[in-house]
Amino acid sequence: MIEVDEDKLIRCPVCDAVNIDKGKKNTCRRCGSAIYHHRSFSTEKSWAFLITAMVAYIPANLYPMLVTNAFGTKDESTILGGVVLLWELESYPVAAIIFFASIVIPVLKFLILIYLLISVKYPLGKDKKVNKHKLYYMTEIVGPWSMIDVFVVAILAALIHLSSVEILAGTAATAFAISVFFTLLAAHAFDETLIKGK
Amino acid sequence: MKLENEDALDNLIICHQCYTLHEEVPIEDGSKACCSECGGILYRYDSGLVDHGLALSISGLIFFTLANAFPLIQVDILGNEQFITIPKTIFSLFDNGFYIVGFICIFLIFVFPLMIFLINILLFLLLKLKRGKRLTKDLLILLSHIKPWSMPDIFFISILVALVKLVAFGQIHIGIAFWALMVFVLIDIYITKSIHLSEIWMLRKRILLNREPK
Repeated sequence: MIEVDEDKLIRCPVCDAVNIDKGKKNTCRRCGSAIYHHRSFSTEKSWAFLITAMVAYIPANLYPMLVTNAFGTKDESTILGGVVLLWELESYPVAAIIFFASIVIPVLKFLILIYLLISVKYPLGKDKKVNKHKLYYMTEIVGPWSMIDVFVVAILAALIHLSSVEILAGTAATAFAISVFFTLLAAHAFDETLIKGK
Repeated sequence: MKLENEDALDNLIICHQCYTLHEEVPIEDGSKACCSECGGILYRYDSGLVDHGLALSISGLIFFTLANAFPLIQVDILGNEQFITIPKTIFSLFDNGFYIVGFICIFLIFVFPLMIFLINILLFLLLKLKRGKRLTKDLLILLSHIKPWSMPDIFFISILVALVKLVAFGQIHIGIAFWALMVFVLIDIYITKSIHLSEIWMLRKRILLNREPK
């Protein structure tokens, strides 16, 4: 017979098995993976990825995402420029999708992760009402959808490359892909067991 | 809370969405158990999970092959016909010097989806043959690591967005691969959403570890 406190039960991030929290070195009893080994620097790894992502997000918005060469005239559009252009062409649903995928979701994800990372270390006054597990789950679900813009640019660039009309990917595509990649890593590195109580 | 031994922990489950602790109860075949706090699905019970999983993975792989072998979209611009396939899309990124984006894309839309389906086939095959204790464990661990990185569904939505942008350029023809990819994405969503990894772990425990009579 063993007695455990219900708060001491944690979920293995790899195989979802319920484990008893034994302090520093937790290994999952089912799959043997380490369950958040780095207790001494619990949030730093996630912070590092998140800051990298935010830094990469700046050039992603400043440099052109899409370069159109049509009959000798070069036309460069940034992410926001592309959204405005689509809006003016009256393709509202597509403009909305791109706006959400490349601007709303990344920024929201940055803000939510910053909030989570700060609040698990320095509990703020009223934040017991917020369901942080649900918030974290949401960022995990919507996060990958920011890749839409990169894929769209890849498709367009592959499809249209004539000598007279040509579409090329811009510098921002690389920056944006890196930014999304690191936000995903930051979300995965976040230790969910740090969120205590509900 | 009192427990007999560590194995009794297998009867417990923590909700994916809100981290509430639940005790697993036997449920009817084909039904699902939901979290009492947030309504998220905890687990399902399907007595034919191995066969269903195997059938779905194999058909998914067939559609994945079709989606990669045939042209996705074709555009007629200024009398020129141009088409793309999925591999061609990725290689053109490399040709234009976008190595990082190309590298990320090749994994997200080609390598990982393919790996997931191959691993699923192998996994369900091993469970059906009732063997491979070590291998199934390693496969399940690998599967859970690559699952969040597979994005064929997002790629499919991107194609739809790209189609709208392409209307300005000329006549668009949708190829066979487009429909194949659509079916593949539907199967992929069904597999990732309806078969939780923890269910396969429990299945593995029932089939492979409890074989010897007590």
